[in-house]
Amino acid sequence: MMKFDVVIIGGGLAGMTAATELQKSGLKCAVVSEGLSLHNPSAREFKTAGGTLLNGDSVTGGTFKDGRLQSVTTQKLGDVSLEADNFILATGKYFSRGLVADMDCVYEPLFGLDVQYDKDRSTWFDPSFSAPQRFLDFGVIAKEGKALKDGETVDNLYPVGEVLCGISSSQSDATDRIRLSALEAVKSIRRI
Amino acid sequence: MPDNKDFDVIIIGGGITGAGTARDCAMRGLKVLLIERGDIATGATGRNHGLLHSGARYAVKDSESAEECIRENKILRSIASNCVEDTGGLFITLPEDEDAGFGLDYQKKFLEACNKAGIEARAISPAEAKSMEPSVNPALIGAVVVPDGSVDPFRLCTANVTDAALHGAKILVYTEFLDFIREGDTILGVKVLDTRTGVKAEYRAPVTVNAAGIWGHGVAQKAGINIGMYPAKGALLVFGHRVNNVVINRCRKSADGDILVPGDSVTVIGTTSTKVPFEECDNMEVTPDEVRLLLREGCALCPALATTRILRAYAGVRPLVADDSDPTGRSISRGIVCLDHETRDGVKGFVSITGGKLMTYRLMAELATDAVCSKLGVNKSCQTADTPLPGSVDGRIQTNSKRFEGKPTLGQKSAAGRQGDLVGKIHFESEADKQLVCECENVTLAEIKYAVKELGVRNLEDLRRRTRVGMGTCQGTLCIRKAAKALAEALGDPSAAPKLAADYLDERWKGMRAVGWGDTLREMEFMQRVYKFEKPYSYDEI
Repeated sequence: MMKFDVVIIGGGLAGMTAATELQKSGLKCAVVSEGLSLHNPSAREFKTAGGTLLNGDSVTGGTFKDGRLQSVTTQKLGDVSLEADNFILATGKYFSRGLVADMDCVYEPLFGLDVQYDKDRSTWFDPSFSAPQRFLDFGVIAKEGKALKDGETVDNLYPVGEVLCGISSSQSDATDRIRLSALEAVKSIRRI
Repeated sequence: MPDNKDFDVIIIGGGITGAGTARDCAMRGLKVLLIERGDIATGATGRNHGLLHSGARYAVKDSESAEECIRENKILRSIASNCVEDTGGLFITLPEDEDAGFGLDYQKKFLEACNKAGIEARAISPAEAKSMEPSVNPALIGAVVVPDGSVDPFRLCTANVTDAALHGAKILVYTEFLDFIREGDTILGVKVLDTRTGVKAEYRAPVTVNAAGIWGHGVAQKAGINIGMYPAKGALLVFGHRVNNVVINRCRKSADGDILVPGDSVTVIGTTSTKVPFEECDNMEVTPDEVRLLLREGCALCPALATTRILRAYAGVRPLVADDSDPTGRSISRGIVCLDHETRDGVKGFVSITGGKLMTYRLMAELATDAVCSKLGVNKSCQTADTPLPGSVDGRIQTNSKRFEGKPTLGQKSAAGRQGDLVGKIHFESEADKQLVCECENVTLAEIKYAVKELGVRNLEDLRRRTRVGMGTCQGTLCIRKAAKALAEALGDPSAAPKLAADYLDERWKGMRAVGWGDTLREMEFMQRVYKFEKPYSYDEI
């Protein structure tokens, strides 16, 4: 078992923004990133600030107790779990597998968090490629910045960036929205 | 033109049947006009498996079709070598077929029927089948090898149109048939509309051939004639890579989704068969139920399909014809239907050629041309079975690649495979010409320029049908901006690039929407990201 103040799942723009801010404010952070979408500039800053970057690894699941996420396991660390007071979920949308769609539903594959999506497939896409696409609005539901699982708030799990419903990279102000959601989570965690 | 006769024959429809008929008529010395409302190969011609049938599928039930198929199969291998790939085919028997009455006893019956029809078929053991095609369902209990192959219908249609033009035929694409010019009971010609300019025109000829596929129903109606057509929609799925190298069929009574065909860089599973209303033929969408069915049946042939990314779905409409004597449309023939409307309906100067299939297009064209010639009193025999199509004089990639100076690049080799011996017409003048525009299908800038100059390409869909640009794994995600820019420049209007790309993406999007989940949805998000993030349709930095 390894213990951190915050474990951030996903090293893209959202995850790395949150991780760097938290690490610089004195919290001990670890980022687990599959690597494909690693946000390099902030990853360097994060490491310089003393953060732990588990690049090329991926989270396989987590343990919940009393409405809190206690620890997560990763593919490479095997039995050694990562424990933390708070977790940030920044796994992105479909491309990065933060969300998985099958024929009938959209789900969050790591923890089975509550996801906002249309049950009726026919609304997912607009026939015009350049029009806004509904499926890009789907994502994890947050209540006061925290994730929901089976309708109950997970007290220490903050979804940020594109994994959230309503945020997608096709929006013209996507970068701002992604950063903002990350900074909101940082604010909440610092307040604790 | 005030002239009473502009042409000897007018052919309506630029699918494979019309193209083949135009070629045959032109080769017999007739003055030909072909009109097509869109681009060539836009209907059922471009919306099928691309299977070079051995005929085995029909052997048990319809020996006539089977014999037709194997004869045409052999002909196409020799006259259209650059459009055909000799993959070979398997007819597999699965344990569940045994329960359904299509077990190894049926296989024996199937083998006999094949041999009777002249199809070389031989049974092999399941182990041999697995080593011949490793992706085949390992549960199989029997297999038969047949001379199936794959055929590129776009290329085949283009080659026929090109050859018709070389023999003096006039080809008018984006020219819609509006009505007949008629005097009493005689058809004198056609009224048409240029769909791009909006200009109407009239053309006259003593014979008009209706080769408009399922749309031929409407064409005949304009002459007051009813052809009892039966629009049968067939849906297909394209997978993200070439899963199998040998065509895999199910050795049982023909059913939905039981043929898996490898073609170029992908694999296609199909097809379904549902009657659809005529109004829907212009805009076919594949339904979730059709996708479910195709996936289920496809996985029975090749279990790896369950985990393979689906590139897209598409559907075509077979122009099947109900028997004239049966108004209910129940007895549907899949055979060739050539109707002389003078003897059938008392309308002179009008022939319809329909039914049939891609595989037998040449024979259909021959029958239609025979009918035209007998009307015109022309006594020339058909040469199309022995005369290679343009690009097929020597179909070997190795030979055609040698037409380039030095060691051929990947793009040049692919061009040699696609365009056959016509690659000599592709000019690689600069290093830029050798650059790949589409990296899935290895299409170079030079091939795009060639397609614009020689093959009548006007938009990216036209270009796709002639070069396979954007048809590969990425579905245009990574290349369509480059292709749009190259095409717009070759057309002499660089400012058209964004519109060209947008139209193309809408068409690709249509095929992906039907299968928008799993890895396909990941690709769709990626595509949106590439084209929308920050600077939509910015061409300045390419």
